[in-house]
Amino acid sequence: MPNITVDNETLEFDGTQRLLQLCLETDVDLPHFCYHPAMSAPANCRQCLIEVGMPQINRETGKPNLDENGQPIIQFMPKLQTSCSMDAVDGMVIRTHKSSELVKRAQKDNLEFLLINHPLDCPICDQAGHCPLQNQTYKHGPEGSRFEFRKVGKPKQIDLGPNVVLDGERCINCTRCVRFTEEISKSNQLTIVERGVRNYPMTPPGVEFDEPYSMNVIDICPVGALTSKDSRFRARTWEMSKTASISTVNARGSNCYYWVKDNKIVEITPRTNMDVNEYWLADEDRLDYHKFNDNRPSGPTISGAEVTWEAAYKAVSDCLKGADGSRVQFVGSAYATVEDNYLLSKLAAAVGAATPIYLAHTEAGHGDSWLRTDDRTPNAQGCERLGFRAANAADLKSRILDGGIDVLYVMEEDPVALGLCSVADLSKVKVVLHFYNTTNQTLPAADVAIPAATAVETVGTLVNDQGLAQRLRPAKSIAGVNRTLSMEIGKCRADRHGTPFDKWYDESNLINCQPGWISLPKIAAELNVAMNYKGPRNIMAELSSANDAFAGATYEAMGEFGVRLSEIGVTA
Amino acid sequence: MGDFIKHPFVDAPDRNPAPLIPGDQLVFTSEEKKQIQTWISRYPTADGAIMRALWLAQEKFSFLPPEVIKLVAEEVGIPYANAYGVATFYTQYFKEKKGKHVLDVCTCFSCQLCGGYDMLHYIEEKLGVHKGETTKDGLFTVQEAECLGACGTAPMLQITNGTFVHNLNKDKVDALLDALREGKMPAFTSVTLPQDEDEMGGNRRTDVNSVESYIVPPVSETVS
Repeated sequence: MPNITVDNETLEFDGTQRLLQLCLETDVDLPHFCYHPAMSAPANCRQCLIEVGMPQINRETGKPNLDENGQPIIQFMPKLQTSCSMDAVDGMVIRTHKSSELVKRAQKDNLEFLLINHPLDCPICDQAGHCPLQNQTYKHGPEGSRFEFRKVGKPKQIDLGPNVVLDGERCINCTRCVRFTEEISKSNQLTIVERGVRNYPMTPPGVEFDEPYSMNVIDICPVGALTSKDSRFRARTWEMSKTASISTVNARGSNCYYWVKDNKIVEITPRTNMDVNEYWLADEDRLDYHKFNDNRPSGPTISGAEVTWEAAYKAVSDCLKGADGSRVQFVGSAYATVEDNYLLSKLAAAVGAATPIYLAHTEAGHGDSWLRTDDRTPNAQGCERLGFRAANAADLKSRILDGGIDVLYVMEEDPVALGLCSVADLSKVKVVLHFYNTTNQTLPAADVAIPAATAVETVGTLVNDQGLAQRLRPAKSIAGVNRTLSMEIGKCRADRHGTPFDKWYDESNLINCQPGWISLPKIAAELNVAMNYKGPRNIMAELSSANDAFAGATYEAMGEFGVRLSEIGVTA
Repeated sequence: MGDFIKHPFVDAPDRNPAPLIPGDQLVFTSEEKKQIQTWISRYPTADGAIMRALWLAQEKFSFLPPEVIKLVAEEVGIPYANAYGVATFYTQYFKEKKGKHVLDVCTCFSCQLCGGYDMLHYIEEKLGVHKGETTKDGLFTVQEAECLGACGTAPMLQITNGTFVHNLNKDKVDALLDALREGKMPAFTSVTLPQDEDEMGGNRRTDVNSVESYIVPPVSETVS
């Protein structure tokens, strides 16, 4: 295998590798701005300069010349090289800032150049705290600037498109955003205009930066030049907690981080998973988070009147107790986790009802061949694998109207909003509803309504359209549960160092709801049906061994990046 | 550029300008299209031909508003954004309407020392415009240019990205402006170098008739 020596340490590498990537992968933290592993390397930020040399070869013998210690003499290139644009070669010797004063000096001077026209507005900049330019200036930069003149002013607060705002002064012209539109999304909506000290990224006249993936340029921008119109000025990065989970807006299940402040979702950013979304996330995945924060219920209700959880569970069991199993219809949900749907199917079996159905939310033409899908739910495939089938709308409606259903048990769905039936149609049917939002249109028809935890408040598994089972982790906590007791929740500085006595401590946004894996066993207990699970981890362990369609999908195996399920049992 | 140093602010762009060229005129003739295709065929990828094609469009429409840049991009077959980035990069592509003759007066170091600013200010006074402006009759635009690579014959100016006028002085400027008003474009002038005076009769170029012999450059009025 070819060898390369980095700072006197010899490494082995495979195939064609760019020097910068090789260094990053071996924990040599080379500073860089314009390089991105998914895109071409224009080498225009000049921050990743290193010394590169090769053993000096004797032209006559074809063997390396040796010094007095018997070591090959290394001939370094006369000038520093950009490691992002140079491929590693067998025998190459490189020196980074760890061993070379010259490289250290180059990094420091280059940062001084980059900062000449960069405004010092970090205190009001959204990027501050997770800004490569800020971090690298702290690590490698000069102590001050020698530039005594006025900085160049450039266009600020320009809406490039509906979701992205440009601050031209902060831009260091790395061209990552331009290359993203050229090479990754291929919308070609951005370019660098003007030249020299006047240049900045911009759309050409008459063009809006409105592609469905536009907000990715915000993440790859190494400074605060491109910020999110939606979430800018809403929170500083150190005030938020960050939880690695998955997006639930479509069936692709793109991996993402949920950023939470005061127990509200503030922002959603991509999480790298090379099997699903690579480094990217569609705008729709980022912007559809208000459903987690707004119009949330305050507690369980019976016929609209608020009651205790115990009373609500009792009321649900009363609905189910005397009912004829064949006249009870369970409706599962492609929004709910595999675990919750599995418990629902067990409850249905205990009552003697048929396997639950689920409601499909397909929007033909919405998807593309990338991260958006026609299916607008995150877990339709999980429902199919549990043996649930998409509801036949006409059939369900006629059964409701003909009085064929006594109890309609709807978990985390909204049949009225889908037009399957009206509230009036349900007047003679007992309706049990687990719901996320008070805007749920089936809510007025519900006899018992149980607030359910949304995808950012629960633990569970979703199966994406490609059969990849992935974990949901709780990003925000719910009422009655201390944030830090939920072990997988992302912690912010306030969680680590704060107490309930701090003046900024805020419990007002804790939603009084329960995840299905807590509420369903409680209801089962009222019916004297045993559902003894310690939590979703146990449920999934049982399901993965009992059902071939979920074979291997334990929490341990899914980890951060999910498990690809076999094709067995898929009929969808 | 001088103003930019005192007041370094880049104006916000007009992102939806009204078209300046009527839609029916916004077309290339079949010869022009053929010419662009010939240029494209000379490069491995089509974007190599964008600069030639923009040049052709500027000669046709006299300047390059966004709609013309878009037309060129479509003709060459590259993204509009790319073409726009190229067009805004080079000052020689005129993004707004200029006079019939654009006088680029060099004020970079050599010309500055030899009286580049004297010439610029003389032209400005004579035409009654400031640099960057166009005369009312639409005949002249005066611009300050960075080094045009003719330091040996400083001070100098360039007419509309073309002919160089060397060894400027006030009489020469007067004569030049009169000639341009009459529609006479000065011919390409070859400048001899002192070391060539003895051989070749001073003329390195046998294909040009107009020859100026090298003179020791003047010194700017403001340099003492």
